[in-house]
Amino acid sequence: MTGAWIRFGISAGCMVLGLVFMVSAVFGVNRFKHALNRMHAAALGDTLGILFVILGLIIIRGFSMDSLKLSMVIMFFWIASPVSGHMISRLEAMTDERLGEITVLEKNNGILVDMPDEAREDVKTPAKKKKAKRGGKDR
Amino acid sequence: MELIQQAYNGMMTAVIVILAGLIVLSIIRSILGPGISDRIIAVNMIGTMVIMITAVFSVLLNENYLADVCLIYAMISFLGVVVLCKVYTGVYLQRKHMKADLTAIEDNLKKQEEEEETQI
Repeated sequence: MTGAWIRFGISAGCMVLGLVFMVSAVFGVNRFKHALNRMHAAALGDTLGILFVILGLIIIRGFSMDSLKLSMVIMFFWIASPVSGHMISRLEAMTDERLGEITVLEKNNGILVDMPDEAREDVKTPAKKKKAKRGGKDR
Repeated sequence: MELIQQAYNGMMTAVIVILAGLIVLSIIRSILGPGISDRIIAVNMIGTMVIMITAVFSVLLNENYLADVCLIYAMISFLGVVVLCKVYTGVYLQRKHMKADLTAIEDNLKKQEEEEETQI
């Protein structure tokens, strides 16, 4: 009886941990401003979130054919998710016209914040100068 | 024994409900997202969460075949993301009359620099 409750505790801990990862992934996707930052948050849920939720299910199921199938889901996802992330990032790098621009940080009450897009239009010329200087060295 | 079964059922139902709420939030992002890649990211994440819900259901309802459904869904969602990326890359390149291979990124950057120089 105690062993069953210990197993329940371990599996519930794993599933709650996976849910925490998924919640932070959705939060990041809704909060970040640029697509590449959003992809960073989404990759967290794609790997660690699904790993911990399905690990909890495998612990419930024990050693059986069903848990083998569930672990195959994890294995397939860990192979496929980085590939799809790479494809999305290549799409973003090709189609984003303003990818090379440096994000302008401004001081707001002593805290550095990312400038909103409307404000960035006004200071476009200094940002572009910076980019030209930096670009010569890097490429 | 009855109590622990109730505990398992409650935990898995709670997980499913929370994941359904997260799917609604991802749908909001996929509608709002300014670019096409934001939408693809959100749709990819919805696919991940549907796979998780299906896996939880396969244990909750004690049905083995739902795990197979999980595997097939993962493959089809991966295929969908790859095809969408290819299609939108092609659409963009065709609109800009650019090369459709891996050197297109550097070509794009070179064209941008030339445009800036002509503007100045």
